[in-house]
Amino acid sequence: MDRGTWLRRVRRGTLVLLAGALMVGAAACGGAGGGGSSDSGGDKIVIGVQGPFTGDYAAEGKGFRQAIDLLKEQVNAQGGVLGKQIEVVYEDDKGQPNESTLAAQKLVSQKVVAVIGSYNSTATEAAQQVYADAGILHITPSSTATHLTEKGLKNFFRMAFLDSAQGQFAASLLVDKLGAKKVALVHDSSTYAEGLAKWTRQFLEQKGAQVVFYDAINPQESDYSALLANLKSTNPDAIYFTGYFSQAGLLVKQARDMGITVPIAAGNASNNDEVIKTAGAAAEGFITTTEPAPADLPYDEARKFVEDYKAKYNEDPVSIWTAMAADSFRVIIEAIEKTQSTDPAKLADYLRNDLQDFPGITGPITFDDKGDREGTVYAAYQVKNGKFTLLVPPQQ
Amino acid sequence: MLVQQVVNGLTVGSIYALVALGYTMVFGVLKMINFAHGDLFALGAYLGLTFLIWGALGQGAGGLAALLLIGLLAALCVGLAGVLVERVAYRPLRGAGRLPAVVSALGVSVFIQNGIMLLWGAFPVAFPHGMVPDVSWSVGGITISLMRLVILGGSLVLMLALYLFIQYTKLGAAMRAIAVDHETARLMGIDVDRLIQLVFLLGAALGGLAGVMVGLYYGQLNFTMGWLYGLKAFTAAILGGIGNIPGAMVGGLVLGLAETLAAGYVAGEWKDAVAFFILILILLVRPTGLLGERVAEKI
Repeated sequence: MDRGTWLRRVRRGTLVLLAGALMVGAAACGGAGGGGSSDSGGDKIVIGVQGPFTGDYAAEGKGFRQAIDLLKEQVNAQGGVLGKQIEVVYEDDKGQPNESTLAAQKLVSQKVVAVIGSYNSTATEAAQQVYADAGILHITPSSTATHLTEKGLKNFFRMAFLDSAQGQFAASLLVDKLGAKKVALVHDSSTYAEGLAKWTRQFLEQKGAQVVFYDAINPQESDYSALLANLKSTNPDAIYFTGYFSQAGLLVKQARDMGITVPIAAGNASNNDEVIKTAGAAAEGFITTTEPAPADLPYDEARKFVEDYKAKYNEDPVSIWTAMAADSFRVIIEAIEKTQSTDPAKLADYLRNDLQDFPGITGPITFDDKGDREGTVYAAYQVKNGKFTLLVPPQQ
Repeated sequence: MLVQQVVNGLTVGSIYALVALGYTMVFGVLKMINFAHGDLFALGAYLGLTFLIWGALGQGAGGLAALLLIGLLAALCVGLAGVLVERVAYRPLRGAGRLPAVVSALGVSVFIQNGIMLLWGAFPVAFPHGMVPDVSWSVGGITISLMRLVILGGSLVLMLALYLFIQYTKLGAAMRAIAVDHETARLMGIDVDRLIQLVFLLGAALGGLAGVMVGLYYGQLNFTMGWLYGLKAFTAAILGGIGNIPGAMVGGLVLGLAETLAAGYVAGEWKDAVAFFILILILLVRPTGLLGERVAEKI
């Protein structure tokens, strides 16, 4: 075959590949599950939930869904709110920004009063403006990137505590508890992970520790050996990973395989048993800094929630984010009851100005002017004999 | 440090190479790109996991022989799935030009991916541990685990076997013949359909085996994993010169090395960007790929 034909063939092949990528993308979008339409007026109040029901974070999406289903049934069994039944519609955003915008538009078109979601900061950020434009109350249970609440959106709230607080907690854990002087930080370039890594670096340096390694993995990949080889050559005393649980397991396993023996800690997105399943024996000693597990929360609401959840699903809540999602639902119901209204603007106004120390599953809930949750509660867990066990008890 | 990165790169690269063989063989005989190949690879990983669980095999040394059996079983099943895909989705379209076949391939890809999701769930699933004894050796700061050696060695043996099969057997010669010209080959008494099936059987089986290796090595599977590995392997096949079997091997190893070194010496997050930049560069300078000259004669 001559060179010209071959060039054409390669060019054509590249075009075909591009077309293929587009098509698969489009097919994936088309396949995103829809909740069906619903009538907004009449005898129902519709609340939307967007979350990663498939994809890498599907385990957390399942927790959202189960928690909210549970509470919805409880509320409806008691006659609903304002004499109306609550209906919940779910949209899958796979934890991806492009899917997230679509999911948000779908929920808006179904005339929801309020939306709970999404799980990860990247997806939440993509949906924020859609809800702001539609004037819908939007509460994220679990997106901790600091800048989400710095846009002056009046309808946006965050149930989770801030990254900056976790960064501070992580820095003191690494330096004071583990005695690390040289720390390696690894993130995954996501909004959340990079934010947490930056805060952690800042607080580590304030404490006089040195950040000897700072780089990102690509969460789509499963091989981190190149990065780890580099990391190893900087001889850190401890590693702090700020990405998600699906990657944390792989990272821990590969680090141990490569003969890296220093303590590995990770942020609250890695507080998930999947890490232990993936890394197996290598997970032993792995530490997470996180909001306490629902079962370790020292509140009556938490005990009741965990009991009800276990009774219905025969398993523990997936993670703290399951409880945060439940709390998001509970403050929405509280706002509807107290304002006797389903006008999202009135609800947002109530949450921002009038809600004080609402007894949440995850502690007292008060929102500040930006829509951030006030206060913090963090704990650290360490894997011992294949189980996450409390290392540093809940600290406010 | 450099040596360690080279070892890392070769391990990843040998997996890309195994998957790339499937792309390159199909392109060789049909001049079409089988976009479903990456998903067949993922199917192999999931089947391997299922057989492992069914077998409920013990841990440790006895595992190695059992593992080989499971790998072969998974490879066989994926190979048959490949044959089925060819029969159902590609053969009826063989005279219809290249675009319908590619669209059909994409359809099969979405079908398999969603099938995996429905059968095994949308969650990442963990592969059992300790199938390959957790042994590693440290020599002068370089750590090599037994698992790495199994992957590297296994891939090289398989690739060599395939190469010898195609170069030195009658069936191999027939495969090379249909790669040049279907009609003439048919006139010479070669059963073209049978041989195309054989190509799909071999290509898909190697892909399936690579899937099992990936599962064993990383310990985690995801129903979307076929897309990324498929893309990387496709790139490797183009890089080495698509249609050329040694090219696919060289392309896989070069791609694995390039991205590992990029991650090691540029930045972790630039890994893919640098790898694909190298691909574009090579195609600009040498559009036939690294070993692409003899493309017409080889499959």
